[in-house]
Amino acid sequence: MEKKFNDKIDKTMSSFDDIEKASPRPFFFTRLEARMENQKSIWEVISSFVTKPMVAFACICLVVIINAAVIFSSSASSASTTNSFSQQNNELATADEYNLVSSNFYEYVNTKP
Amino acid sequence: MNERELIALLKKKDREAFKIVVETWQGMVYNTALGLLQSMEDAEDTAQEVFMQVYESISSFKEESKFSTWLYRITVSKALDHLRKKKRKKRFAFIQSLYGKNDGQMIEPPDFFHPGIKMENKENAAILFKAVDQLPVNQKTAFILNKTENLTYREIAEIMESSESAVDALLQRAKKNLQKILKEYYQKLD
Repeated sequence: MEKKFNDKIDKTMSSFDDIEKASPRPFFFTRLEARMENQKSIWEVISSFVTKPMVAFACICLVVIINAAVIFSSSASSASTTNSFSQQNNELATADEYNLVSSNFYEYVNTKP
Repeated sequence: MNERELIALLKKKDREAFKIVVETWQGMVYNTALGLLQSMEDAEDTAQEVFMQVYESISSFKEESKFSTWLYRITVSKALDHLRKKKRKKRFAFIQSLYGKNDGQMIEPPDFFHPGIKMENKENAAILFKAVDQLPVNQKTAFILNKTENLTYREIAEIMESSESAVDALLQRAKKNLQKILKEYYQKLD
């Protein structure tokens, strides 16, 4: 029984004798080249896209437009702030002229009948 | 063109030199990967990854060892990485099946028939490949390099960055383990 197993094992162990080397399917290099082309890094793809003249020009235009918009909107808001200040001053002056504003606590208390 | 000139050109990213390198060593890389992975698709995939790495990292090749030794090292490491990923996927699929998330049943991989084995040895070789797959990684690597690539102990030692005596010990242990696995297999069959 033991001999039977040993014979089988020996036969199996020697089945790798005279093994021939396997080679890949034809056109291995073509498939490899195609894979290398597809697996370009994301940064390569981004840099090649950004360095296109049309894309670069569009990016510069976009930056200029954003800058102009920011400058314009900030100057407009500062102008409106100045206007609101002068309006407030006028209102105070009028109130003061017609004695509508109590300037201290004593006056405020004594205005009550 | 000799090997040195070829490598010098490859370091300059010369596409023609790369083509020559691939065509010269593709059989060696593929056959090694096939022995370790036991799947033609995985071996092709790994062989492609090996040459992609060669192209990317040829500048790190210091020419202290033979180019083929460096290539074998990359192939073995890539193939073992591939095996690890495959095992991780298998484990994940098994856990999913436990939670009933994977409706498909676990499919046992089919027997692997190496294209370079003689017809009369095919069945026995498939059994031996299954047994080789159960060996520890180092023993498996040494056994495959010795049997399918016909490398000497010295060449295997250079690839595995160890000594000849260590390789000898690894191969002895591999043979003993294989005999044990095969004995259990045939006893179960009987």
